[in-house]
Amino acid sequence: MALELWFAVATRVALALSSVGSYLQDDDQLSSPLTSYDRLQEGIYLFQHGIDPYSGGTFRHSPLALSLFSTVIPLSRVPSKLIWTLTDAVGAWALVNIWRARSNTARSTRDLRVAAIYLINPYIFLPCLALSTSTFETTLQLLVLMFASRGQSSASLLALAVLAHLSLPNLLLLPPILLLLLSDPLSHLASPRPFPKKHRKSLPLAAEFIVFFAALTLASSLTAGGWGWMRNTWGAGFMLPDLTPNPGLWWYFFTEMFDHFRPFFLMVFSMHLLIYVAPLCIKFQHDPLYAHFLMLGVLGTFKPYPTLSDAGLFLSLIALFPEIYPYLRYPIVTTLVHLHAFLMLPLFHHLWIGTGTGNANFFYAITLLFGLANGGAFLDCVWAGLRVAIGEEKDGWAVVQE
Amino acid sequence: MKWFIICFLIAQCLASGNREGYREELTLRPLADGKLAAHFSFSTVLERDEPRSPSSLGADDISQHYNIFPLALGQILREYAIPELHLTLNSGKWDYDRWGHPGEAGVGSGAELWAWMGDGAEASIDERWEALQNSLAGLFCASLGSMDTLHTTSPTRAFPPTGDLPRLPQPHTHSLRHATLPAERVCTENLTPFLKMLPCPARAGVAALLAPHRIFDADWHGLGVHVRWRADTGIVLTLSVQAVLDPVRTSADRRRDWTLRSVFDRSIPRACAVAASSSVRVLLPSPEDGAYTLFPEPTAFPDSGLVIYDVTNNTSDLDISMRWPDEQRFSYPLDHLPISDFSAQRTLKGSSQTHGHLSMIIRNNKPITLRTLYLETMPWHLEFFLHTLSLTCSDGTKCNHLLQNMTYTPSQPHAAPALLQAMLELPPHETLHISFRVRKAFLRYTEHPPDAQRGWDLPPAVLVPADAPDRRVYTSALLVDLATPDFSMPYNVIIMSSVLISLIFGSLFNMLIRRFAVVKVADPLDSNVG
Repeated sequence: MALELWFAVATRVALALSSVGSYLQDDDQLSSPLTSYDRLQEGIYLFQHGIDPYSGGTFRHSPLALSLFSTVIPLSRVPSKLIWTLTDAVGAWALVNIWRARSNTARSTRDLRVAAIYLINPYIFLPCLALSTSTFETTLQLLVLMFASRGQSSASLLALAVLAHLSLPNLLLLPPILLLLLSDPLSHLASPRPFPKKHRKSLPLAAEFIVFFAALTLASSLTAGGWGWMRNTWGAGFMLPDLTPNPGLWWYFFTEMFDHFRPFFLMVFSMHLLIYVAPLCIKFQHDPLYAHFLMLGVLGTFKPYPTLSDAGLFLSLIALFPEIYPYLRYPIVTTLVHLHAFLMLPLFHHLWIGTGTGNANFFYAITLLFGLANGGAFLDCVWAGLRVAIGEEKDGWAVVQE
Repeated sequence: MKWFIICFLIAQCLASGNREGYREELTLRPLADGKLAAHFSFSTVLERDEPRSPSSLGADDISQHYNIFPLALGQILREYAIPELHLTLNSGKWDYDRWGHPGEAGVGSGAELWAWMGDGAEASIDERWEALQNSLAGLFCASLGSMDTLHTTSPTRAFPPTGDLPRLPQPHTHSLRHATLPAERVCTENLTPFLKMLPCPARAGVAALLAPHRIFDADWHGLGVHVRWRADTGIVLTLSVQAVLDPVRTSADRRRDWTLRSVFDRSIPRACAVAASSSVRVLLPSPEDGAYTLFPEPTAFPDSGLVIYDVTNNTSDLDISMRWPDEQRFSYPLDHLPISDFSAQRTLKGSSQTHGHLSMIIRNNKPITLRTLYLETMPWHLEFFLHTLSLTCSDGTKCNHLLQNMTYTPSQPHAAPALLQAMLELPPHETLHISFRVRKAFLRYTEHPPDAQRGWDLPPAVLVPADAPDRRVYTSALLVDLATPDFSMPYNVIIMSSVLISLIFGSLFNMLIRRFAVVKVADPLDSNVG
């Protein structure tokens, strides 16, 4: 097993060091204005020349990334590719550990399959080749889950605070993580029960998270020299100043919006993300890891500046829940729609932007399809997660919802 | 008694303090490619006058009595307390290689307006700047009002004040506002109010030559309004018209002989009575270019290459003619050395609508090192990636050290343009290639102009030589093609995206809220069920 894993990692390293990445670096599907490597380099250049990188609209990375890549890890071609591939490998390792925690096994034959689903998933490795910082967000997400599954609350909350700094919508993952830290990662989908512990026990954990978050905010303000960075980084998700096409649903909606309605719909789209947290956490309080997984599906479909890696994370995490596979109603349809969208997204983007023979509508239509594929996968997993509790159908009886 | 009152009034007028002087001048320069560069300069001086102080803008102004100075422009200058103002409206691309440096340096395509203003008034400098644009737009019938914050920058290194700025009380300073509209063309409706500001527009003096149908037929033409204050002289207003006319094109037998009548369709009828001096200067072409005759005889020969016709006291028509009798047809010189100090060419490369490269090639034509300031004011539609900035010398080596002392203000999306000012050092006879990557923006629906597929005009880059700041060089304006959404689709996009979101939302809440039930399905073998 280890041999195959090393082979996969070696292939990834070889791909990273080749010149494939240079064609992908500009791609708008793989890196958004919040995660692009070019913009990161520009911000570091401005920072090193004494110009405030947050005074313009080019640099939208967190000051944590600014300080990390301007001091500890200087950016240059070959080391960057190796660092990104290493980050992906760490993410795969974390995923395997989550699987082991969930299935309560030390080492099993399924470990390799789980790692492979992450490493060779094109939604994951293409952004890594494009040096998009969404790779760091994905790996941090898996580390949060790994530490929470092992019960290491401080490490998990610190990782979540860093993750929320890099990408603010991840704040919505705090409730499932608190629930997960108070219970266990084992599969309870088949036996739902009310949440065993008192909710008051989550308050110290929430306070710890707030302390971590505030400390990181303070450190960011010291790096960036003021509070203007919030408008550029977190504010971008609320005000949508950059309308670069991406696989998400926001950009064309707000491109075509008249100015009169813009503030209202920005508010609606932001509030829309909030309304999924409580119902999913309440309905799946018996299995918080599954609730977290479903929230990742919501974020991957509906966040303001998504990339393919957000959808890829959700799809790779399906590997943790083999108990739902018999109850998925339309997995083949979802897979085919995903395949369709994955092949068409770069094609129609190129037709619109590159050759100019296509319309913006071509790309927008495939964006809708991609949203449908993500939404379909998400809904199927919700159904299957609920359905596991009922069990197998007997002859002459059918399970329905009323 | 009556005589006493009249003498008293005349004495009052003479002692009224302000004296106005008016001078007009036309400079004609035949060029090596057969064209004729004409530069009209009309300058009015308000002696011993001072610009209005910004702190007095709240109260009523003291009355201004102008005889020659244009009242409309004077009112605008005092309304917004502007000590220095430069407005140019140009059409065409000035070819520095073949035509050298123009008389007035502001030859960038389109409309360019820059002004130094002091703060300390109730209205802020930006409010006064906007009001100034609208006033000038009304005065000159040009749509200058669209020079809003998307086009305005403050490039103080490239546009220092050309005159003096009045001293302001301690915390207040003067600021520069500069804006360019590269697509704004100049035409007759701009010339008519311009001529109205001259004391003798169409009937006397040099201004009588300004026939719209000939000026605007020129290969390059432009109007300029320049106001500056000199502490020892007073307020100086210079109105200038520059044109590069082509006698070869308009003559029947393709000769480059020109007369005032053939080029301007007019001649100078008689002198302008209020002009203190009125003259036509002709810069003589070099004799090895061909033998030429000049008629009539000039009044003054100050220099070997310059002759002057003084028309201050003319009472009859003056028609100057220059002919090359030995030439049959003008043959365009195929090889020529550039006569400017340095040549610059700027292009936008790349066919994608997300990225491109901005490339500037500068060639130093002199055998000495030149230092020039490179100014780029770029609207936010094009975002610079300065970390990709690279300078390459003609032998292919990297010479990034030749760009020094860079100040950069990044652009803000949907708001302010980018401002880049850097000092370039050009080695003798060296060609420098500056290139950096740019990103093209995606605009909102309402930000696209009605002709969205035309693209956006980018203002010219300005190169200001360090030792001669008033001989600045403008590159060409560029056109950038930005990706457009489908303009017929706002409703459709909103409903389709909303349908998808509500489909997922609704299905999810449907699943979460409803309860599971196990129901008995009818047995197909049961014969009781029909």
